[in-house]
Amino acid sequence: MRNYFGTYTASRQSEPITASVLLFDRSLSIGYQDESGANHTARWEMNQLSASVVFSDGESLIRNIGTGEELRIAGKEAATLVKEMQEEMAKPWYRKKSAGYKGRLALFFGGLMLVLALLYFLFVPILSEKIAETVEPETERQLGDAVWEAMQPGITEDTGASRLVNEFFGALNVETEYRIRITVVNENVVNAFALPGGRIVVYTALLDKMQSYPELAALLSHEFTHVNNRHATKSIFRRLGSKVFISLLFGKMGSVTSVLVNHADDLKSLTYSRSLEKEADLDGLAILTNRKIDPQGFTDLFRHLKTAAPESTLPEFLASHPDIDKRIGYIKEMSKQAPVESHAELKAIFEQLKKQ
Amino acid sequence: MLITTTNVVEGRPVQEYLGVINAQSIIGANIFKDIFAGLRDVFGGRSKTYERVLEQAKEDALRELAEKAQALGANGVLGVDLDFETIGSGGSMLMVIATGTAVRL
Repeated sequence: MRNYFGTYTASRQSEPITASVLLFDRSLSIGYQDESGANHTARWEMNQLSASVVFSDGESLIRNIGTGEELRIAGKEAATLVKEMQEEMAKPWYRKKSAGYKGRLALFFGGLMLVLALLYFLFVPILSEKIAETVEPETERQLGDAVWEAMQPGITEDTGASRLVNEFFGALNVETEYRIRITVVNENVVNAFALPGGRIVVYTALLDKMQSYPELAALLSHEFTHVNNRHATKSIFRRLGSKVFISLLFGKMGSVTSVLVNHADDLKSLTYSRSLEKEADLDGLAILTNRKIDPQGFTDLFRHLKTAAPESTLPEFLASHPDIDKRIGYIKEMSKQAPVESHAELKAIFEQLKKQ
Repeated sequence: MLITTTNVVEGRPVQEYLGVINAQSIIGANIFKDIFAGLRDVFGGRSKTYERVLEQAKEDALRELAEKAQALGANGVLGVDLDFETIGSGGSMLMVIATGTAVRL
């Protein structure tokens, strides 16, 4: 905005009066008082004006072409500015009211949303996983141990059972760069989990439910896959990547937006969790079938988990694991006609474990 | 129209005081400006994007002040004071308040 003092002439018959002038991008505003002292403001659009410099006086003369009104301002600056603004407005990109403008705007935003979606769903997760793969197994072990240490108060280990389960896993002869350490914990929880770096925890209540060694083999191979395929580490890095991306995009959000965005991100991470569980099921199944261990162990294991868990009314998209019936379904599908042999050593260790 | 932070204008005495006027401009930088400014916050240095946003907010506030003065029949605004505040969650919006006394010189 530029501001000037000038003289305003309403028509050829009128006397010029002192006025204040405000020069904006696309218009100018004139403020003056008439003979009775009443205040008036007149607004002239830039495209209605003709501006010139009166050489004899060195002043700017601006005429409203439509109404014949005139404005005189000392110096050349005002006229020069009006001409520059008129030239700018004549340029093609200035004509924003053209028919295609809204369409182009919609296209631009659509493209932008697509790019952001690709980044969030594809690029950021892939990049996060690539970074996770660079983490050394030793670092993973330290992370897993730190989590285990934090859990310690309240944990009672069944050392005899731990020794036997580790022996059982050793007998499976699974090749891995990780040092697998299995700990059996005395607790009435029908569950097991794996920590980064090689520690696997199995609760006694789940062991009590098992009837045959293929079930234990299925459990251990499932948990081993979580360790070997670095699922926990990948999950951590993916969540971190998502959060960093979201905070870059949304900045410091209000509480409502923050809750909505974080829960939406949580739902996405549940999808990833379910895909990892499926990978653990299928890669675990491969460990069994490669050793000709009965894949029925998996389906029996799932049935134990199903009877132990109360019937859930939650839809699958809110669950961290795939639906158990689905799991039984794809395990059966993948293990059709898998050859089966007896494993005396595994059977013996299992029976010793059950006697404990 | 004369807009100044001073209380007097040499050689142009006030003929009439037309009242205290104010104008405010609230402006938000968009997502991308926020991201670039956030990166600048990490690495240090001037943030040209936010500087431009601030300049725009100041211009808008002064423009509105001048229009209000003109509507009152003033040809000057004396004692102009500019206040800068951040508002909104996380201070992502900028507010500029311009206050002054509309006068006829």
